Amino acid sequence: MSDTTGTVALEREDLRVTIAEVLDVDEVKVTDEAHFVNDLGVDSLMALEVMVVLEKKYKVKLGESELKEVTCLQKAYDLLDAKLQAA
Amino acid sequence: MLTISAIKKVLPHRYPMLLVDRVDELVPGERLVAVKAITCNEPWYQDLAEDAGDEEHAYPQTLLIESWCQAAGVLAAWDKPNPDVMSGQVMLFGSISDVVLHRPVLPGEVLQHRVRLVRALSDTVIFEGECLSDGETVMEVGRVVMAMRPAEELTGALPAAPAPVGAGAH
Amino acid sequence: MAPLAAGPVRAFPEISSEPGAPLRTTVQVHADERVFPGHYPGFPIFPGVCVVEQVRRSALATVPADAGKVIVRAIESTRFLSPVFPGDRLTVELTWSPRGEAWRCEAVAATERGRAATVRLRLVAAPEPSTSAEPHGTAPVAVDGPSTQERKAPC
Repeated sequence: MSDTTGTVALEREDLRVTIAEVLDVDEVKVTDEAHFVNDLGVDSLMALEVMVVLEKKYKVKLGESELKEVTCLQKAYDLLDAKLQAA
Repeated sequence: MLTISAIKKVLPHRYPMLLVDRVDELVPGERLVAVKAITCNEPWYQDLAEDAGDEEHAYPQTLLIESWCQAAGVLAAWDKPNPDVMSGQVMLFGSISDVVLHRPVLPGEVLQHRVRLVRALSDTVIFEGECLSDGETVMEVGRVVMAMRPAEELTGALPAAPAPVGAGAH
Repeated sequence: MAPLAAGPVRAFPEISSEPGAPLRTTVQVHADERVFPGHYPGFPIFPGVCVVEQVRRSALATVPADAGKVIVRAIESTRFLSPVFPGDRLTVELTWSPRGEAWRCEAVAATERGRAATVRLRLVAAPEPSTSAEPHGTAPVAVDGPSTQERKAPC
């Protein structure tokens, strides 16, 4: 579901599916608070990759430190939400 | 433009695993276009049975990917070349995602690898792009992640010293 | 055995799982594989794509019966987790699952030291080979002999 300006609207379940796909884990495991590295057992490289994929999908620019702060779906959602609001 | 000798100053790969012949365009930190000619005299064809058809002469899919990734490696390492894997920082494969192989590539084709830098972080670079033959896309590369890691992460992982290896490795 | 196709390594994986048990293959990483002198001089490391190659061969050796002849259309994802060296023994565990018209093969390749790579392939039915005008088994044909298979034919 994307709005008219071509940017993809931020929707939690859609975000969960995308993250699960990139992390190569079952969607049900990607709870709001599940930590990418500690709980989902992905390596730090993959956690970074998720953020770069989300950057492209939602057409937002994240700084390296912001990228590294996001360690679970909730944090990704909040950061993207803030960026999209500001855009 | 980079000739083969210039490429060898950037990449550690050598015969028969140096799979980039020439770099035609290089915009550091942005994008690169490289060339790889496919010939029937590559070592991969040595064991083919005499009655092998064209299908068996298809260039190995995994080497198409390796060739493209080496082109990406030139873009990644351009400003910090290290053709010696034993010391300093070394470029390790982290991951490859969404590589689509459209059709077999045969000897005689000249491949054009197009590489774009998606993101560069302090120790990690992410690329995307495609490979064309005579203007036709034969392979798409969704995402390749390479990590710059200290050489010890490789040398330290030798069976003689079975230290556990960190994230991502060649 | 179909004529060997061109490949970066000589060793072929062998199925080491019992029928009905989870699919597994094993293959030795021989020190004299062609890739090692150039990858890298003085420091042989089995290329990541060669681990993917052995997964690809393992997949093609364990295709579900009802899938027929399949080819690899995409490498959906590959994660390289630890290096592989000459002398290692690679074990590949595979899981097949249908994906609409296509098939997904998920694999974990490991050495004695642990996981080396995870690979997810997408395979599709092999297109019918276009009828080739070449006569088979005849003497080498002069340059202006029958035209070879039209290269643009999908195959």
